[in-house]
Amino acid sequence: MSPLKVLNSDSTAVPVVCWSCAVAHNESTLFCTACSKVQPPPGVDYFQVFNLPRHLQIDLASLEQEFHKLSRKLHPDRFARATEAEREFSLADTALINDAYRTLRDPVRRTEYLLKLEGEEIGEEHAGHNTGNAERTSRVPADLLEEVFELNMQLDELREGDQKDPALLSEVGAAGEKFSGMLNELDGNLQHQWALWDDGDAATRTAAQKQMVALLDRRR
Amino acid sequence: MAYSEKVIEHYNNPRNVGQLDKSSTEVGTGLVGAPECGDVMRLQIRVNPETQIIEEAKFKTFGCGSAIASSSLATEWVKGKTVEQALEIKNTEIVKELALPPVKIHCSVLAEDAIRAAIGDWKKKNNVAETAEAVAH
Repeated sequence: MSPLKVLNSDSTAVPVVCWSCAVAHNESTLFCTACSKVQPPPGVDYFQVFNLPRHLQIDLASLEQEFHKLSRKLHPDRFARATEAEREFSLADTALINDAYRTLRDPVRRTEYLLKLEGEEIGEEHAGHNTGNAERTSRVPADLLEEVFELNMQLDELREGDQKDPALLSEVGAAGEKFSGMLNELDGNLQHQWALWDDGDAATRTAAQKQMVALLDRRR
Repeated sequence: MAYSEKVIEHYNNPRNVGQLDKSSTEVGTGLVGAPECGDVMRLQIRVNPETQIIEEAKFKTFGCGSAIASSSLATEWVKGKTVEQALEIKNTEIVKELALPPVKIHCSVLAEDAIRAAIGDWKKKNNVAETAEAVAH
């Protein structure tokens, strides 16, 4: 992920002058609004790249459309006869929109990114890297390890055997359903917090933010 | 980055795959896992009660080539060592031997953890006090 320190959430209002025609334009634009020339990567966050409000519930279809539209406009073929500087700008802009798109379309990465923009620390950043090996391993509950190991053994057995043992099949199937259920529950919980964060007042927002940090921290 | 030849060799011909009788007092079992990648590793040792020498070691790992190679190498290295000598094995030595790239270092950490866990289990079974060295880790 690109360093967040270059990002400035208040920068949309700051006018930037086009390198080509000298007309001031909104900083988040990749192309000058006056002369349409490609601009160097703006120092804005991923939401601003796609002119989206900083929300967790986003319209993925229109995000994809916008990404494709910008990708086409930045395609190297369009800059084959452009100046060296313009070619560089278009490449750097492409890298930016690729990173932005990959981050925003993924529900967990989007949440993590927004929380970091809001100043939260997630996972290892506040758990600390310097804990001893034994301590780190012991964070995985022993019964979960047993369960995962046993499931892997059963899956191996199913893969190798010609005759599928129906009892084993149903056992593994049930485990699969159990894990999907847990995943769905987590997804539901996360989406509930998204709505609270997007639409809530300051207090609701703070509470939702804490909940989401806790949810994401459970991955470690 | 491609796997080193040593990793591929261990992956194709893993040493000491299998299991030992978990209930035996001479056997220590270590089960460890990395939640980041989903790898799980079981490493078992059988210790001679007279000499405290690890006479047999078995492993079973579900994970990537580097995790399998790391645990395979770990079983080779602990065999013939005393319990205390085996505790000296560092993950950095595994990294060096297998030429693991930075993104696979956690596999070697997992193997070291598995050795420690197996020895810890054996010590618990046999009422051997944890050494200061082991506790510090």
